[in-house]
Amino acid sequence: MSATTAVPSLAFGPSAGRSALVIGGGALFVLLAATAAVTLGTSGIGVGDAVAIVVHRLTGIGPVTWPASAETIVWELRLPRVVTGMVVGAGLACAGTVFQALLRNPMADPYIIGPAAGASLGAVVALLLPVATAGWLGIGLVQTLAFVGGLLTVLVVLAIARGRGGTPVVTLLLAGYAISSLLSAGVALLIFSSGERLAAVISWLLGSLAGASWPRVAVAAPLIVVSFTLLLLRWRRLNALLLGEGPAAHLGIEVEREKRVLTVLAALATSAAVAVSGTIGFVGLVVPHLVRLVVGPDHRLLLPASLLYGAGLLVVADLGARLAGGVPVGVVTALLGAPFFLWLLRRRVTGVEDRP
Amino acid sequence: MTEPIVRLAAVEAGYRTAGHERRVLRGVDLEVGHGEMLAVLGANGSGKTTLLGVMAGTIPTIGGSVELDGLPIARRSRAEIARSVAVLPQSLELPAGFRVAEVVAMGRTPHDGRWFGWGPEDQDAVADALRDADAESLADRPVRELSGGERQRVLVALALAQEPSLLLMDEPTTHLDVAHATGLLATLSRLQRARGVTVIVVLHDLVLAGSWAPRVVVLDAGRIVADGPPDAVLVPEIARRAYGVAVDTAVTEGGRRVLVPHVPTGR
Amino acid sequence: MALRRPAFLTSVALLFLFGLSACATAPGAGSPPASAADSGPPPSVAPSAAAAAYPVTLTDDTGRDVVISAEPQRIVSLAPSNTEIVCALGACDRLVGVTDFDDYPAEVADVDDVVIAASVDVELVVAAEPDLVLAAGNELTPSTVIEQLDGLGLPLLVLYPESLEEVYADIELLGRALDRASEADALVAGMEERVAEVVAAVDGAERPLTLYEVFHAEGTTYTAGDGSFLASLLELAGAEPLTGDAQGVLDTETLVAADPRLILLGTASYDQSLADPDTALATVSARAGWAELAAVRDGAVVPYLDDIVTTRPGPRIVDGLEALARAIHPDRFGSDQ
Repeated sequence: MSATTAVPSLAFGPSAGRSALVIGGGALFVLLAATAAVTLGTSGIGVGDAVAIVVHRLTGIGPVTWPASAETIVWELRLPRVVTGMVVGAGLACAGTVFQALLRNPMADPYIIGPAAGASLGAVVALLLPVATAGWLGIGLVQTLAFVGGLLTVLVVLAIARGRGGTPVVTLLLAGYAISSLLSAGVALLIFSSGERLAAVISWLLGSLAGASWPRVAVAAPLIVVSFTLLLLRWRRLNALLLGEGPAAHLGIEVEREKRVLTVLAALATSAAVAVSGTIGFVGLVVPHLVRLVVGPDHRLLLPASLLYGAGLLVVADLGARLAGGVPVGVVTALLGAPFFLWLLRRRVTGVEDRP
Repeated sequence: MTEPIVRLAAVEAGYRTAGHERRVLRGVDLEVGHGEMLAVLGANGSGKTTLLGVMAGTIPTIGGSVELDGLPIARRSRAEIARSVAVLPQSLELPAGFRVAEVVAMGRTPHDGRWFGWGPEDQDAVADALRDADAESLADRPVRELSGGERQRVLVALALAQEPSLLLMDEPTTHLDVAHATGLLATLSRLQRARGVTVIVVLHDLVLAGSWAPRVVVLDAGRIVADGPPDAVLVPEIARRAYGVAVDTAVTEGGRRVLVPHVPTGR
Repeated sequence: MALRRPAFLTSVALLFLFGLSACATAPGAGSPPASAADSGPPPSVAPSAAAAAYPVTLTDDTGRDVVISAEPQRIVSLAPSNTEIVCALGACDRLVGVTDFDDYPAEVADVDDVVIAASVDVELVVAAEPDLVLAAGNELTPSTVIEQLDGLGLPLLVLYPESLEEVYADIELLGRALDRASEADALVAGMEERVAEVVAAVDGAERPLTLYEVFHAEGTTYTAGDGSFLASLLELAGAEPLTGDAQGVLDTETLVAADPRLILLGTASYDQSLADPDTALATVSARAGWAELAAVRDGAVVPYLDDIVTTRPGPRIVDGLEALARAIHPDRFGSDQ
């Protein structure tokens, strides 16, 4: 059976060297971005101090030469924000990649079948509820309702789109659009009557990592990490789905079940991400495309690369947002993402890359 | 090999659309042994594609039974089936950005593999598939740059990468010119000899079928109306019944019988 | 096999992410070694005149109980009104963080800003190492920020007065927080006296239906909300306030139906073009439906330049009340002060 000798240099998929470069580069990018985000900020903490603080907290090493406030800032404010950014960026990029393959639609992003609209509704309801406890707005309630809203919406859309023969992709897209519109209308209505809570609502909808904290990380991160890990393992099935549902079935994939599993996993990651950071746009749409330009459409490399570059990009965007005066990171991703997206479109239209 | 690779008994199958049911296959009995080569003929709508779908397990039966290697196909998982049965659909658009070898590697999907890569068995299977499909030289080419004939070879390689025991092909010669069509059929014969794979091909060309297939099955309105060697099957009555055309019979210099359709030119 | 390397690197990357999040949760939601407001000896509500003023437990305007264990030396204020109270109590030099909107008294210009363009920079707040943070309620300081600061263990008082009495109460509250109780009492007494003077001066005068325009855009006027602080000030100043809904929104139809006799343009405090009475009148009459208002026909449209003190619920609120009285009843409260 061994005939590799007959074909001297048969290597399919990106070469091992290239894979290492991309993955290694991605990991390095994340590391650099995280380091920059932890060491830079509006309060003048030195780079050396910032690193020393992290090392000290993790290992106990080192004499403490910095003020307690610096340690608070680095460990309680910046580091959870960076970790949240990495996890959210990775989750959104991964979910976006999966939806683009699943729905065979390059315009797909993680929000396309509704989790953003559902999470927004949940969050805005929580933000507007007059909570009796000490006047605070029940912060835990916002995250919980956002997560539940996001996930529930996707499950409803899946149920609506399910017919006797399965869940056709087009139906899924249309049902997602319809439900999203309905829920968005609800959100708009609530915004209209939000009164003084308007600023809080808008800030949430724009997407922000400002409220990051270790307890939130502890809840959201495992969900997102588990989701994208399971998605990473399904790279062969995602590739096969690119051939079409019929051929994928002939290649041994339970197509209808696979579509559901992929949708739910991606929705889990997306809902958890949105729950802790609001609806940050463009990361889930643009990162897969950018990465695909460099790495190709093979999900074996595309998924982990999207994940890493999504994580790094969001951390960098958030750093920029912080330094630009506390702007919500969703504003930065939109400002950067929209031109990128237009550039991608032009490439397509002028035929620079393969047309689908 | 006493057990046929595929056995259909009294199979009824069809499609359900918005309320009513369209029965396509009405009581089909068919047994195909290991290593056989078989051509399926019939008019449009006679059930050829449905027949292949039933054998591949992608179309469920309404009545009757389908067995793959002695086991009812309904009891097997899709992945299990895909390890034995490979299907070449009528048309398949290959996704942009891949090279040929990568697409052929997708044929390894049903085989349990490593978490994040391809193992030596996969490498070997892909190499063998490319060689057997006469597509070795195409391995590094981007799939969007292939001609029709080249694409067909790649699709064959994709199917072969699954290491199937049964190869089902739905009108693979439709868009091919004579040279490529005959080349493809020759390849299939070669495969059958080299790998012992069972080949069932739906063909529309009576002449090609007659000159290639050792066994021909003819479908008409969901029933098998003829099953046997071409000499026995390719007779004018069958052609008239299955296709509704009048044919002339001709015998080649090599002694093979071919049917030549009668075109009414009004002269 | 060469192909294993990407798998290995990917696993490393994943482990890195896992490890980081795992390690990070280990120490738990920490509070820094800064002065923890929640620990310490059981709080005693000390009477303001006693020698042992600390530790003291105070209840802020949102019902939170906060323990102040020692006299605050580093105060961060997240709202101009809070800053003004602190300075009026003589503790201006203790301020280490204010907003970029703070403009009174002049000394606060030298204090670092921790709130820029209405956005609270939590890092800067923490870096200032405050032992007391004064926030504003009703989302003027976002509740997410309050929760974050609270979670970091910073002693935090939220002030949100919605009436004169509540402003007095907040001044007294800060007086106890800063061990300046007697200064607080004196300040409040002075304010109460001035208010009484205003009330006495306008007593018995006819109360004109008055529209105080906070903002106007696209056919909608924003004015004093029903039952709001501003409405109560207008009443004290001898007017009958024309109010909008709970948020102060007033549509033009309701406005025309009500037909106020006097219009005070608070917007003139920020919009130079409205500072001149004639220009203001012309601008306002050009608005759809406004030309027929009694106030417009009579020319009773007054550019009001003291909006800041009228809407800042601090010690100078009484200045605002006096400005209102001057604008509404110039004959009764004309050259006083």
